[in-house]
Amino acid sequence: MNDTLRTWIKDGLWAIVFAAAVAAVIRFGAGLGAGSGLNDATPWGLWIAFKLGFVALAGGGFTLAAVVYVFHLERFRPILRRAILMALLGYGSFIVSLIFDLGLPWHIYMPIISWQHHSVMFEIAWCVMLYFSVLVLEFSPAILEHPLFKHRFFQIILHGLHKATLPLVILGIVLSTLHQSSLGSLFLIMPHRVHPLWYSPWLPYLFFTSAIAAGMMALVVEGFLVERWFKRGMHFDLLERLGAWVPLPLGLYLLLRLSDLFLRGVLPSALDGSWQSVLFLTEILVCGILPIGLLAVKKVRESREGLLTSAILIIMGILSQRMSLSMFTMRQSTGLDYSPSLAETLIAFGIPAAAILVYLFFAENLTLLGERLPEPQNARAGFDPLKKIIQDTPGRAVAARRSGLATFVVALMLPALLYYPASAKNPSINPVQPALGWETLRIDGNQTGYIVAFPHAEHQERLTEGLGSKESACAACHHLNYPDDEATSCSQCHTDYYRPAFIFGHTLHQQSLGGNVSCTECHTTEHVRQSAAICQDCHETMTAQEGESVFNPFASSYKDAMHGRCLNCHEQKAVELDKPELALCSTCHTYYESNQLQTSLP
Amino acid sequence: MRQAAILVDVTRCTGCNKCVDACVNANQLGDPKHIPQQEPDGLSVHRWLAITESPEGSFVRKSCRHCLSAACVSACPVGAMYRSPEGIVLYDQDKCMGCRYCMMACPFGIPRYEWDSATPVVGKCFLCSERLAEGKLPACVETCPEDVLTFGERSDLLAIAHERIAQSPEKYLPTVFGEFEAGGTALLYISNVPLDFLGFNGATGDEPYPELTWNWLEKFPVVTLGTAALMTGLFWIIGRRMQADAGRKQHTNQSSEVK
Repeated sequence: MNDTLRTWIKDGLWAIVFAAAVAAVIRFGAGLGAGSGLNDATPWGLWIAFKLGFVALAGGGFTLAAVVYVFHLERFRPILRRAILMALLGYGSFIVSLIFDLGLPWHIYMPIISWQHHSVMFEIAWCVMLYFSVLVLEFSPAILEHPLFKHRFFQIILHGLHKATLPLVILGIVLSTLHQSSLGSLFLIMPHRVHPLWYSPWLPYLFFTSAIAAGMMALVVEGFLVERWFKRGMHFDLLERLGAWVPLPLGLYLLLRLSDLFLRGVLPSALDGSWQSVLFLTEILVCGILPIGLLAVKKVRESREGLLTSAILIIMGILSQRMSLSMFTMRQSTGLDYSPSLAETLIAFGIPAAAILVYLFFAENLTLLGERLPEPQNARAGFDPLKKIIQDTPGRAVAARRSGLATFVVALMLPALLYYPASAKNPSINPVQPALGWETLRIDGNQTGYIVAFPHAEHQERLTEGLGSKESACAACHHLNYPDDEATSCSQCHTDYYRPAFIFGHTLHQQSLGGNVSCTECHTTEHVRQSAAICQDCHETMTAQEGESVFNPFASSYKDAMHGRCLNCHEQKAVELDKPELALCSTCHTYYESNQLQTSLP
Repeated sequence: MRQAAILVDVTRCTGCNKCVDACVNANQLGDPKHIPQQEPDGLSVHRWLAITESPEGSFVRKSCRHCLSAACVSACPVGAMYRSPEGIVLYDQDKCMGCRYCMMACPFGIPRYEWDSATPVVGKCFLCSERLAEGKLPACVETCPEDVLTFGERSDLLAIAHERIAQSPEKYLPTVFGEFEAGGTALLYISNVPLDFLGFNGATGDEPYPELTWNWLEKFPVVTLGTAALMTGLFWIIGRRMQADAGRKQHTNQSSEVK
């Protein structure tokens, strides 16, 4: 990997972070509805799925701490600090993501002052708070060793931290155990939402064991990436040992998961051929049993490709379990779909991108991979136009490059920024909704917030009959629409509120009769409506009903259209059930005073 | 009153929606004719009570069930959802963090969120607790023209419900929906059509929902102390054995030197 590629990758990560920052403005400026695809049916989505992933990948921190300090396996010390940093960044990502996800993030301190120990979320809040502090303390020696902190004051703190290492490590293990398992138990209370193949009363144990496996394998993948990036610090022998041991927690996880499903009799549904069952089998077979088999073979484990492949498979399997459980396979209880919005996706990916940048910053500046890296040389290989401009000060060159990138990304995102709040400001107002089946829609044609029942099939039928073809019937309403409108407002046709309205496709007739020369076909004397030929002159089958104008056989008045939806049944029931109040105007028009009692009954 | 409750007689409802209007007016949820419906079921943060249609075409009230042991109350990490002494599930927006765990936990899918606000709150029926305090009936009960809703002590209403079923068994299904589901709810339904679509479908079970997580949470002290003790113990034992090993090696080295 050369410097140009490194720069491009970093720029890519920064670009994602900048884009996420723009999305953050939408999220906090206009609310969760504008900043995400979440809705009442699916109040948790992509962000929760990612959070579960962050914490699973952070599992290497407490595992390695236990290995080195509790089990006294000192030879793993070279990768311990990296494991702690991974955990720190994993939990940091969790907290940052939480700030986006919470509706009122400035109440985030509430679990401290308002205790509710029956809630899993309460325990999680405390574990995250405490464990993140522990991780900061565990990692801070790496920062304080930097020459910048050689003042005596910092050295005293460093000394104290070294002394407190063991209690901190044990506290960290306890908190991690509680937190990893609690993330699973979050879902215990929603058996009505989680898919049966992912639900289990043993979720806490599944989450705990799989987090150990995922954390160990995250360290393996990290080792490979670090080696590609820095050309050092991989410690393949240690990673190979992690590969040799990971079948233990992973196997335990698989065993627990399968035996629970078997004991509760759910396992047969894994073979029913649905996409969920395929996903489940992939998780278990391809991402569980296969890598265990691969790692059991010494020759495979000791090859770089074999180890990396197994590690990636295991991580994918466990991330898939977390995301399937919390997102993909959630049963829709209300029939409303969820798909993450652009802003939501950008924020979800922006957080790990920022975490990787922090990792790189620490790796470049601290003794993370053995001894500190040498100062970066000024000469940077490859093409970099900015370097030529500001050659002496690489710091300024980088700053200039980044601000240029930021400007570009923000400019690119601006249309989204302007569009999103406008469209998603009130996601609850949707102009067209299926209500009573396809034949009748609830529409808010005027987009005023007032929804009316609209007999779609009836309109379609009458317009097809009147205009001659199904196509022109559709076009009569759907091609009259305004920008961002899905159908035209009722008043486009029902122009007159109280009288039957004129609905005549003038342009359509004009076109089909030959354009401008065709006027006289209907307008024999004057070019006004009153003198035009009546419909029946051409459409012989079309006869006006009683009370309808000869010009407008199609659209009843808005009032009649509305009353026609309700009144017949009301009047019928009023007589049938002997309840005259059913036919009172004030039954529906609640704004009528009671002394203005009127009835539609004759 | 130990447990405030409402009995809903589905057979009597004509679907006039006056209860919905009354609810909107009493709780100042905005324009009663403005229906910002996000979902087919009609509930939203501006609409805490909705008349839904059953697959058979019956009109059925959908609103918060005020479960006797409510999933949302146990799920809320900060106690923003809580039960009043009258057994009403209330909400304190000054405590709420907006984690929406209550919405995920509710087996009946009731709580709704203010998605279009930058300072969102949860919306659901609070059984007009303020009106009750003034000695009035809940707005929906007061308004209902067909006597569908009866407000009162839950045990009394259960008795009434069973009596009505006994009096006209041909009219009702032989169940009081909400008597046992999810540990029992304060909204009781008697009906001529099955109410599966409201969440009374057997999948909920009769076990109180909070038990599902409490079974794990009550193990917390044991897990905490157990892990701490195990880790300290392992550290000490392994350390001692390694020290002993090192000592033995040293001893062997020394004795071989002597020889």
